[in-house]
Amino acid sequence: MRKFSLVKFSVEHPKLIVILSVIVTLAFMTQFPKMRTDTNPKNMLPKTSEVRVWNDQVEKTFSLYEDMIALGIVNEKGILNPDTLGKIKRITDEILKIKGVAARDVSSFTTIDNVTVDNATLRVAPLMTDVPQDQKGLESLRKMLYENPLFINRIISKDGKTAAIYIPLEKGANGKEIADKIREIIRREKGDEKYYIAGDPVARDTFGAEMFKLMAVFAPIAGIIMLFVRYLMFRDLFLSITLMMDAMISIVWSMGLLIGLGFPIHIMSSMAPVFLMAIATDSMHIFNEFYFRYRETRDKKKAIIETMQAVSRPVRYTALATAAGFAVLLFMNIVPVKVFGGLVAFGTISLRILSFSFIPAMFMFVKEDKIAKIAGAEDISMGKSSQFLIRLAGFGANHPKNTVIVGLVLFVIALVGLSRITVNNNLVEWFKKSSDVRIADSVMNKALGGTSLGYVVAIAKDDDYIKTPEAMRYIEGLQRRLEKLPVVGKTTSVVDYVKRINRVLHDDDPKYDAVPENKEMIGQYLFLFSMSAKPSDLDNVVDYPFRRANIWVQLKTWDAQAMKSVIEAADEYKKTNPTPMDLKPSGIAYFNLVWNHEVLWDMVKGFVLALIVVFGILAFDFRSIKWAVVGYTPLLFTILLIYGVVGFTGKDFDMPISVLSTLSLGMAVDFAIHFVSRLRQRRKEAPGESLSDALLWTAARPGKGIMRNAILFAASFAVMMFAPLTPYITVGAFIVSMMLLSAIMTLIYLPALVTLMQGWLFSNGESK
Amino acid sequence: MKQYLILLVVLLLPFEAFALTADDVMKKSQAAFLYPGKDFKARVVMKLISEGGQERVREMTMLRKNYGAPGGEQKYFIYFFQPADVKDMTFMVYKYPGRDADRWLFVPAISMVRRIAAKDKYSSFVGSDFTYEDVSGRDLSEDTHALIKEDKYNGKDCYVVKSAPKAADMEYSYKLSWIDKTDFLPIKEEYYDKRGELYKVFTADEIKAVKGFPTIMKRTMKNLQSHHMTQVTYLKADYNIGIEDNLFSERFLKQPPKKWIE
Repeated sequence: MRKFSLVKFSVEHPKLIVILSVIVTLAFMTQFPKMRTDTNPKNMLPKTSEVRVWNDQVEKTFSLYEDMIALGIVNEKGILNPDTLGKIKRITDEILKIKGVAARDVSSFTTIDNVTVDNATLRVAPLMTDVPQDQKGLESLRKMLYENPLFINRIISKDGKTAAIYIPLEKGANGKEIADKIREIIRREKGDEKYYIAGDPVARDTFGAEMFKLMAVFAPIAGIIMLFVRYLMFRDLFLSITLMMDAMISIVWSMGLLIGLGFPIHIMSSMAPVFLMAIATDSMHIFNEFYFRYRETRDKKKAIIETMQAVSRPVRYTALATAAGFAVLLFMNIVPVKVFGGLVAFGTISLRILSFSFIPAMFMFVKEDKIAKIAGAEDISMGKSSQFLIRLAGFGANHPKNTVIVGLVLFVIALVGLSRITVNNNLVEWFKKSSDVRIADSVMNKALGGTSLGYVVAIAKDDDYIKTPEAMRYIEGLQRRLEKLPVVGKTTSVVDYVKRINRVLHDDDPKYDAVPENKEMIGQYLFLFSMSAKPSDLDNVVDYPFRRANIWVQLKTWDAQAMKSVIEAADEYKKTNPTPMDLKPSGIAYFNLVWNHEVLWDMVKGFVLALIVVFGILAFDFRSIKWAVVGYTPLLFTILLIYGVVGFTGKDFDMPISVLSTLSLGMAVDFAIHFVSRLRQRRKEAPGESLSDALLWTAARPGKGIMRNAILFAASFAVMMFAPLTPYITVGAFIVSMMLLSAIMTLIYLPALVTLMQGWLFSNGESK
Repeated sequence: MKQYLILLVVLLLPFEAFALTADDVMKKSQAAFLYPGKDFKARVVMKLISEGGQERVREMTMLRKNYGAPGGEQKYFIYFFQPADVKDMTFMVYKYPGRDADRWLFVPAISMVRRIAAKDKYSSFVGSDFTYEDVSGRDLSEDTHALIKEDKYNGKDCYVVKSAPKAADMEYSYKLSWIDKTDFLPIKEEYYDKRGELYKVFTADEIKAVKGFPTIMKRTMKNLQSHHMTQVTYLKADYNIGIEDNLFSERFLKQPPKKWIE
């Protein structure tokens, strides 16, 4: 056996192995300074993906900005007073100076164009140039604001207590950095006003920044906890550190490789170190066995080699199963998912190479008397924990039928829960309810039209079609239909501008607040509008040949599903009102819908594929489909139960949860492999033993390794539940429950199933 | 100390005596650029080009008449041929030194003349990258001018003048103009925003003498931030054609005389 010789070599030349490991690690470490990060979810899909190409095209056609920050200013006594208005003016002036802000298109009281009529004169000016100081000036401002539907629910709320400034960002600007600069500006203002900063770039870039901070804080804390728990288990600092090093080295190798290959670190790959740390806990089985073996042989070298012989098969196959589970992600469509899969698969393989070289080598440096002392504590029959495990397994082995019936009932309940799962994702809800981002978002969504933006693009077959009254009326009707949706706060289109000009040209007569009767009028009004407003105002809603119109749909929630309901409503409207125009969704809200969907289903697809591959590996490892089926049962059961609970609690099945599915599979399968391999090995080594005794032995000895593994794992991931971002809490809670549950499932259900099906399992010659 | 000062003054004297001040340069430039001839007529094609390469075309006849010396009052009459649906639309501007211009627009679809009051300083001229001020000029007294260097641009010797608006209500914080030393036409202008970043560039791309007046036949204004640009070409241009005063009236706005607009 090749692996075996590696162990022997390592035990014979421990210094060489350690030095080699250090050199390789340092080599990978040299790549670290090249590290780049990328927190933009946009890059979840390649630039060439259909939705990105389309969105880019829409942005170009309508001179739109990818990113927009909304600043809300709330004064409970009302915005329209000289003091608050002065603040709005000052803040706007300062915002225009921030680098990365597309100053020319910032919408605020002092920058937004207003067309009014006064004594047959059209007046075009920013809504507010100077702050009105007297009652008369304030009154006329109020009138202008509330008479123009383009302003209501956009820059001022209906109740007059909230005003907003919309700040588009230049390409590549960092939303969090700009939000921080805006915060600095508002900090200088005193008074009763409250300020809220919302928008996709803020949420996204704040999340990105927090995420890296969390990784820097959480990963070490988890590491320290793991170290501490290990120390409690083995009472030896040196060995505990060795085990940690195992994980650290593989993290350095895989991250070094990733960076060296030129990949940026993405939201997903940033989770890889924690995942690897988790996977590394599998080497616990080596230690576990080693202490038992040492007690039996009292010869360090021999104990090591024997240990490796005993555990090499399960450890190799668990590694293979885990690596395969992640490697299937390489065949998915989404680049970060692929990178993540490849990264963790590579890390898992490195971990196993280290388990067979570095760890045995390090064992050689531990003083014998120390091992003897610790090993003394390891005794199957005496240890309290071993007693507990025996009782656990004994329950399964002695009451197999009841156990299985209870399982079946739980299974049905889980299925009900599963059917209740809702697929959704909401970037803003990745923040806690008490976070600035979430509060700002809910305040602004309550007061104004909505912070999440989607577009519906109407595409005609001929140039100038948009200028026809029928196209105009159609778009107007669609807007009213969409505004009926509870998630839609406001819609804006070229029709609103045409109606506005129509009314203003006719001395502000409300009768003319309608689509004009012929194409000439519309064309000339639009021309007049282009002469009076900022060119971008028109560009944002209609393309140059007047073939495409862009309807802005402001949504009051970041739920990916909200855009879906808009699309459905638009489709339905088209069905009942035929038109030669196509209606196509676009914008950030649409993008969020698409990428969530794609990432999610890619992960689900990967998960199903992993299930099949892992089953194949199990069957191959056990050389038996029957044993694979038995080993597979607790694993599937655990996953079903957890997703059942997810369904019952009403937690959305979102991106983080879908990522976890593969991890849970890769981890839970380990327990089954260890248990079944060692059980069958035991049957060969001690042929006279009864099946139930063998089961109890397995539960007590490798079972202890399983339990230790699970506890260690759970303890360190429990820290994540205190994280400020909900996906981390989800990940923490998910992993803790998954590990504990799957360990218990393995220890109860495997004995029960093996006992129940012994006739079937051992039919072909294997000793009963 | 004193003798050094005297030396300095002596050293500077010859230059002071022969070189133009920044104000002189700008004054001459204004006369050459915006006020040549008694009157002026041009057939203008304006192309608005978006970042994505989409184009909008405006075609018009522009008539101008001076009332008084350079820097003084002017009247403009514009007739639109394109876009097709605004054919027959006309536009008239009375430009006054020291205050916003008066403008009237005739909307043929509703056969109605409307006065338009807008700020020259930032209003876009028919949706282009030119503001009204870029088209008809700005009072020289509104800026502080400084001659910052002499430079060669496109093989021409130029004065480079920095003009900073005195009031804070402008979109730009200052403008650099490259003024040709021989004909005093601006051949390049750079506009810097409030952050001190260059964001708009004007270039005179083709200059031809018409009736002895050097005239910019092709010009471009490029917005470096929005990546939008506008190209203006004079298909025909003429000076001193005897435009009558009564052309600039509401009556002719509704029914523009053929001989002037063709």
